[in-house]
Amino acid sequence: MKRVKFIAALWCAKFVNILLRLLGRKGTYMPGKLAIKVCPDYIAQIRKPPRVVAITGTNGKTTVNNMLSDALEALGSKVLSNRFGSNINAGIAAALTDGVDIFGHLKCDIAVLECDERSSALIYPGLKPQIILVTNLFRDSMRRNADAEYIADFISKNVTENTKLILNADDLLSSSLAPDNPRVYYGIDRLPFEGEPKENIVVDTRICPICAGSLAWDFRRYNHIGRARCPSCGFAAPEPHYRIRSADIDNMTALVEDEGEERLIKLPGDAVYNIYNTLAVYAALRELGVEGSQAAAVLESIKIVGSRFSRQSIGGRELTVIMAKGLNAVACTRSFDYVASQTGKRLVVLMLDDVFDEKESSENIAWYYDADFEFLAQEDIFQIAAVGPRRLDIRLRLLIAGVPEERILTAAGLKEISEAIDVAGSEKIFVLYELYRESSAAELAGLIADKMRSVSV
Amino acid sequence: MRIEYLYPELGNLFGDSANIKYLMLCVPNAELIRTRPGETPAFSDGADFVCLGPMTERGQKIAAAALAPWAEALMKRVDEGTHFLFTGNSMEILGKEIRSANALIPGLGLLDMHSETDLKARYNGFFLGEADGITITAFNSRFSHSYPGGDTDGFAAVKRGIGINPGALSEGVRLKNLIGTYLLGPLLPLNPDWTKKLLSSLGTDADPVFYTEAKEAYEKRLAEFSDPRRKLD
Repeated sequence: MKRVKFIAALWCAKFVNILLRLLGRKGTYMPGKLAIKVCPDYIAQIRKPPRVVAITGTNGKTTVNNMLSDALEALGSKVLSNRFGSNINAGIAAALTDGVDIFGHLKCDIAVLECDERSSALIYPGLKPQIILVTNLFRDSMRRNADAEYIADFISKNVTENTKLILNADDLLSSSLAPDNPRVYYGIDRLPFEGEPKENIVVDTRICPICAGSLAWDFRRYNHIGRARCPSCGFAAPEPHYRIRSADIDNMTALVEDEGEERLIKLPGDAVYNIYNTLAVYAALRELGVEGSQAAAVLESIKIVGSRFSRQSIGGRELTVIMAKGLNAVACTRSFDYVASQTGKRLVVLMLDDVFDEKESSENIAWYYDADFEFLAQEDIFQIAAVGPRRLDIRLRLLIAGVPEERILTAAGLKEISEAIDVAGSEKIFVLYELYRESSAAELAGLIADKMRSVSV
Repeated sequence: MRIEYLYPELGNLFGDSANIKYLMLCVPNAELIRTRPGETPAFSDGADFVCLGPMTERGQKIAAAALAPWAEALMKRVDEGTHFLFTGNSMEILGKEIRSANALIPGLGLLDMHSETDLKARYNGFFLGEADGITITAFNSRFSHSYPGGDTDGFAAVKRGIGINPGALSEGVRLKNLIGTYLLGPLLPLNPDWTKKLLSSLGTDADPVFYTEAKEAYEKRLAEFSDPRRKLD
């Protein structure tokens, strides 16, 4: 009976998949949702590739998932990935459906699947991945994820026995996950160009996770990322197996130490979080048996998905569009920090509202006060524009952060804001947008690009 | 004015540290004292405003244990009229105990109240209510509810959203100038008129900073929260 249910679920999912493709829709979780409804243990029952890698964490998991999938494909593997789909259990089920034919025979030899942290209980027991790579754990949407400690406990409870963990040594929260599981760590030494860390509102591990004593930091990179130890009980950040010793941002390379050998790897972006993402991909490749030199070579050709970070030059000015992730204070802070670290006269457009809340409810904006808008209070960031329904809340947050009133603009719509901003006075323009505002961000970037062209003429 | 931020390394979830930040902008000459667990709380010598913010369940346990030796001193200050603001689940420490499936955290026993935590049932939603004659707009995001005895005063009357527990008509607790509330926001910048009243009650004629902008944002939120077509969450 169990098998009959599974076959019915598989065929239903395949049928819906065909229908959706005929309708021109891709990346939907609908087939997976239906399959799980028909056969609740569908993820456990469906045949999976011999190697399954799950990618999870608060920030960077999509980038790592996509980079690793691309790298494995470039190395000749047939990769099953949810890179265009959803990362909840229905999305995983939909991706696994794509990995088999209607008779349930496998079409791929490895699965790389981005998994939502909050869906761990619905994914890992059935998926039983050989490897789980965790990018980091920070506080995220308070509605879904409560707090970072809660999510860490939740993942730990659902990691399957014998699954090998690839963990960020510089994150005390995620490096402490599921302590009985086998693990390797990756980490980045303090880099020569890194200055003193800025004060962050959010530091999710301020006290020792073992004895609650005060932590001493050998160095803190941002938020709770860095190397900490507890003088009271001796607890300390683990030593990384894959370790970046130095990085050359001008040439976009980093030196990785791996089993006593040093290798140069290419970086696809100059933000520190992208160095972590690249190192995580390198570590995953190595744990999958790829030779170090081969792993370094394949990273030469791997890029970050354009929708998350794109840059163009128009008439001597630069337009950068960054997916900043609303409801996620740390992801926004990373983007603010990135903008703050750039030089020149900068203009920033913030489009951070939650589209779902906007439709039917009213967004819980408490997270604005966890994000370091203070980083934007710089003289060279001469204009900050907030667009969307929560623009008045953003304006207040910017004022509290120390941004002078005369530098703040607000507008309800894209056209209005694009007309109001001082493109002529800027050298660099940044658009920071919420995940589900991708199409609006593209539209706004188009309007700004047009204005940049007209100004440059 | 002496402002004490109790256990900032624990009580800092959901942006609530901004209550202190905003208050310090309103009263820039105030002295801010940050007290770590294990240190002598400033209120034991006297403080004008003491704040503790929302925390993890582990944080609650540490904070409750750290405050236990100071329960009597805290009650004395409450009786004397010192202002306390305990937001989110930090309010629960003031009661008799916090119950959950796996643990029982003893509270300070200052209020006739117990709390129940269920890590499988998170409640989220906005809140509209009235406190001190002022309409309050704020948010809830919590795993727990509290159950006060019949004589315990609430902080705000519920207009929309839930109170101190799903069946309650009032939100939070109040004992003289001590306010315990689940409401997040942060409460102060989101409610400029209530902050104005608080500042006056603290004996300062300072106005909330950026009052005009805060009020405009508040009015927009108030209109949204009052619109019956908008769902609580």
